[in-house]
Amino acid sequence: MKRFFTLFLAWTGLALFAALSAPLATAQKASDPQHTLRLDFNRWHDYGELQQDMKTMADTWPEFLTYSSLGKSYGGRDITMVTINNPKTGPELEKPAMYIEANVHGNEIQGSEVSLYTIWYLMENYGKIDMITRLVDERVFYIIPTVNPDGRQFFMEGTGGGSRTGHVPVDDDNDGLYDEDPPNDLNGNGIRDQIRKYVPGEGNYRLNRDDPRMLEPVPTGEKGDWILLGSEGIDDDGDGRVDEDGPGGYDPNRNWAADWQPNYIQGGSMDYPFQLPTARAINDFLTSHPNIAGVQSYHNSGGMILRGPGAEWQGTYPRQDIAVYDELGKQGERMLPYYDYIIIWSGLYTVHGGFIDWTNDGLGILSFSNELWNGGQYFNSPKLQDQQKDSDSPIAGQKGSLYFDDYLEFGSQYAEWTEFDHPTYGKVELGGWSKLRGRIPPRFMNEELSHRNMAFTLYQADQMPKMQIHKPVVEKVADNVYRVRIDIENDRVAPTITERAAENNVVDPDLLVVSGRNVEVISAGWVANKFRPDATDLIDQKDLNRIMIRNGHPGRTTRTIEYLIRGSGDVTIAYESLKGGDVKTTASLK
Amino acid sequence: MSNLQPLVALTGSDSSDLRPGARLLSWIPLVSMSFLLLLGAFAAPKHIVQDFSEYHSYAELTASLKALAKANPTLARLQSTGKTLEGRDIWMMEIGNSAGTPVGDRPALLVAANFEGNQVATSEIALSTISYLLENYSTNDAVKKSLDNQVFYFFPRVNPDGAEKMFAPVQTGTATNTSAYDDDNDGRTDEDAPEDLNKDGYITVMRVPDPSGLYMVDPTDARLMKKADPKKGESGTYSIYWEGIDNDGDGFYNEDAVGGTDINRNFQHEYPYYQRGAGLHMTSERETRAVLDFVIERRNIAMVLVYGPNDNLISAPTTKGELAEAKGIDLFSFADASLADAGKVGMFSAPTQRFFGGGGRGGGGETAPSGGGGRRPATTVAKADLDYFTTVSKKYIELTGIKNAPALSTPQGAFFQYSYFQYGVPSFSTPGWGLTAAPADTSKAAAGSKGKGGSGSEEKPSLDKKLAGWMDETGVDGFVAWTAFTHPTLGAVEIGGFKPYEAVNPPMTVVSEMASKNGEFAVYLSSLFADVNIAKTEVINHGGGVFRIKAEVENAGFLPTSSSHGVTSRSVKPTMVQLGIAPEALLSGSAKTSFFQAMDGSGTRQKFEWLIKGKKGDEIELKVVAQKGGTDTKKLRLQ
Repeated sequence: MKRFFTLFLAWTGLALFAALSAPLATAQKASDPQHTLRLDFNRWHDYGELQQDMKTMADTWPEFLTYSSLGKSYGGRDITMVTINNPKTGPELEKPAMYIEANVHGNEIQGSEVSLYTIWYLMENYGKIDMITRLVDERVFYIIPTVNPDGRQFFMEGTGGGSRTGHVPVDDDNDGLYDEDPPNDLNGNGIRDQIRKYVPGEGNYRLNRDDPRMLEPVPTGEKGDWILLGSEGIDDDGDGRVDEDGPGGYDPNRNWAADWQPNYIQGGSMDYPFQLPTARAINDFLTSHPNIAGVQSYHNSGGMILRGPGAEWQGTYPRQDIAVYDELGKQGERMLPYYDYIIIWSGLYTVHGGFIDWTNDGLGILSFSNELWNGGQYFNSPKLQDQQKDSDSPIAGQKGSLYFDDYLEFGSQYAEWTEFDHPTYGKVELGGWSKLRGRIPPRFMNEELSHRNMAFTLYQADQMPKMQIHKPVVEKVADNVYRVRIDIENDRVAPTITERAAENNVVDPDLLVVSGRNVEVISAGWVANKFRPDATDLIDQKDLNRIMIRNGHPGRTTRTIEYLIRGSGDVTIAYESLKGGDVKTTASLK
Repeated sequence: MSNLQPLVALTGSDSSDLRPGARLLSWIPLVSMSFLLLLGAFAAPKHIVQDFSEYHSYAELTASLKALAKANPTLARLQSTGKTLEGRDIWMMEIGNSAGTPVGDRPALLVAANFEGNQVATSEIALSTISYLLENYSTNDAVKKSLDNQVFYFFPRVNPDGAEKMFAPVQTGTATNTSAYDDDNDGRTDEDAPEDLNKDGYITVMRVPDPSGLYMVDPTDARLMKKADPKKGESGTYSIYWEGIDNDGDGFYNEDAVGGTDINRNFQHEYPYYQRGAGLHMTSERETRAVLDFVIERRNIAMVLVYGPNDNLISAPTTKGELAEAKGIDLFSFADASLADAGKVGMFSAPTQRFFGGGGRGGGGETAPSGGGGRRPATTVAKADLDYFTTVSKKYIELTGIKNAPALSTPQGAFFQYSYFQYGVPSFSTPGWGLTAAPADTSKAAAGSKGKGGSGSEEKPSLDKKLAGWMDETGVDGFVAWTAFTHPTLGAVEIGGFKPYEAVNPPMTVVSEMASKNGEFAVYLSSLFADVNIAKTEVINHGGGVFRIKAEVENAGFLPTSSSHGVTSRSVKPTMVQLGIAPEALLSGSAKTSFFQAMDGSGTRQKFEWLIKGKKGDEIELKVVAQKGGTDTKKLRLQ
């Protein structure tokens, strides 16, 4: 009763406050900042919760957000997306867009939370932080928190084993049956335990003296009391093998159309690119949205800012593209401690048919893939990392992992060894790390991870091309003939068309379009230096009313175009760029 | 895209134009007609009017297939494997006696044709092969045996939208399908198609007097054109374009016609990335995926035969596993070359004013490629498979009487290459018909066929010359004589050249003459399949409920259970031998489920032995499943 009374007072007070002061923010006037919507970023969302949070945000900020589905996974789950667009600053397809996706590998979950955080942060701070307001006004964002909903849900519901793949059935063991021997959680503890068996004097492992939870190989010549028998599982299909054919059995990030290779060269690539329904749905979306000028695909783990190429035999990127990637990537290294900017094949491993190779080579989009979370972040100070080098330290090596779990996660992520009667191996012990350990940050560290990675991706979004067209300078040079000079500028780091895109002819050319009721373009050319007399580089194209600029406009560059135009009245000059936006200006011929 | 050219040159001398950037050049795979010598066919000059009304339009093809299925309910079944952009069915006809072993468990021969829309003759050949099988089932033992024990999957027309252009009022010779495609990447799609300026019903080529042109009239045949060779004191006097006007005013003639993608350049093996006619990406087309989804589902397909403009039957792969080189029709490739720069217009290195830092720095952290980089996909036929290819090639030549090597295209992205290099089964391609050729020509061609550009030796007769000669000899009316025309922007030009379909499709009489030969060949192919069975079993009772089971598995067919490359590529499943017992009943010996990768044919055997626990009187099933060689089971009684 007392509680109700308090509440009543609070509400009356609120009403009074509302009456006296407008606008009303929230009940907690002194909180900082005062959020419109409270979401949690220190826990892992299952598929349904991700959808719910996306919908809630779309309902909260309907003027900016659209919630939609790109298609369905094999398991019938929607691949859902939130579009962020301010319609007051122009239609979606006319503004450069940043595409953000995550979780293509079902077990690499935290990118989904980064995605949610990004939507939420942009909306909460629109109108509050100038830079965020500008970004939302200038750009469009397509954000897909999980592109592998089946894999994610399998991870969330299960022990984490076999969750990397999607769920299109594959006969991994060639027996004509599909997905008939999945991993099993025999003791029902939600963990894919390791199995150890006590075999006195016949084993090859022994218990660590300081901490018997840890097994270590015995030195050569000695006998141990323990053997390891792999991961928890049984022979579901009675073929004599354990867990050899779980759900799916491919790599959804090898099914893309650049440097796609058959299975014997690139395991898990499926039979042909875009055979997977999820890859096809996403590619259909990308190809119908040529305004996308930036891609980020969040993975885990290792702390990397990856770019292509995925395979050495693809050669190097063209010089100017490398310069752009380097500038963005090195900025990323400063924003993301413990992350390195590296090339996939040379810094990670060889990937054929990967997503960002396709978006870079086949769609002409500057693309990064961040590998979220680095193990160095568990003990993230120089002092502690020094300590870790001392093998006697309680935080060195494997001991450090247990230490972190014991003292910072209160033992929640490690399952102690417990006896179990295994149908095949008899009396054994099960134990080990939870699925959340290793590739995923401790929950309490995820908000920092989310914020820093978002900040890098927003930086990339801000550095996508943005065309500007300046005021024309008109000079009469003969009867009815005018010289019109216009500065055309892209002040961002990225070009409107990458060198690779121009080589592959995969992005429509930028266009300079002249229109007017009574005008004839006599010539057009690029001015070498508008501040002193110099040659004009004439454009040798048949149709000068529609000049194609096939390799686009470089970053941080101003070009001056010079027209000789016969005619009178107004002439409109437009620069149209799929990835840099459309801009125009008008000159009066007089 | 200019999808006009029925034939194209990928010749040694032109190969420098085939770098990735030169996407507008000749790309359509060449046909193999040049050097084929048909025994008996066209032996004496006779006048043949090429009457394409005997060819099947889509509606006629559909009606024929339906009628065949209706008339042969136990032998033929018709299925649509997908729809094209224009809503046509991509038909698949299954031929095999439905009684007996379920057809899906039998090894199959896939026969596919007409990937290139202009190659309608190949469709007719496939249709004639279907008819051969159905008509001879009751009278021919080999055909009966084949249809009772194996199965055939026929795709007579993979690209019906493209093929339908043959029946249009104006003949374009379109090889591609009709998917919208911005061939010159100028931001406008399909905006500059050719026009039949002289109203003769054919899209041919225009030759235009031009002092800076690259071409000249062939001194040995005034109908033909050749590239002038300055080293021989020749200078070009003509430019050559496809017939039509510059619709979009970009200075190029007919560089972006309706469509499309050449389905036989859209498959995944050696895919020609970002090249004209190859599609937006590998497997981008409905037709491609219809065929792929079908073959991926039907893993019993043990061999593939394509009727099309590639060949590995008249010329078997070399000892290095390579295909013979390509040669096409010059007149078409010259016209194509006029479009080479259409996709490059607007590449600028314009003067710029940079305002702060940026750019410039190149290559941070990137090491130059060292040429390694892991395992590469195979591009030549595996050594262990070569003998099988040679055997089949010899048989094809013997059956058809075609003796001399044809010229070939470079089959990047072709289905028959996918079928071997990724699907893992022996795969063959042939046009299914050929031209006669003068003996002198063929001997020279055979002698110098592998040289790169002929190293300046005497000129070999061009395919154009052979084609014109064949037309003269047989009376095929396939060449439009050059006639003057006043072009709106080019002025005085001449229009003429090979008719687009006549150049690649023979008179129907030729198809008919070849029908039984192609039919016999298909039956021969199906007789080669691996044939796996349990040849011998033995049960020994050791007492105390312990039994020993011995079995021998045999491949009685000619081919191994998997090609060597099928093993390498892991695309053919290993043959599985499985004993139907509970895992705990197995005491020793072979595993409950055993696999072997590949077993040779001609009676090769493998032995298996299990020690198991059981009860007298128990019945145990032994099963062997060979993906490309059938299934066999035996019930064993413990006693």
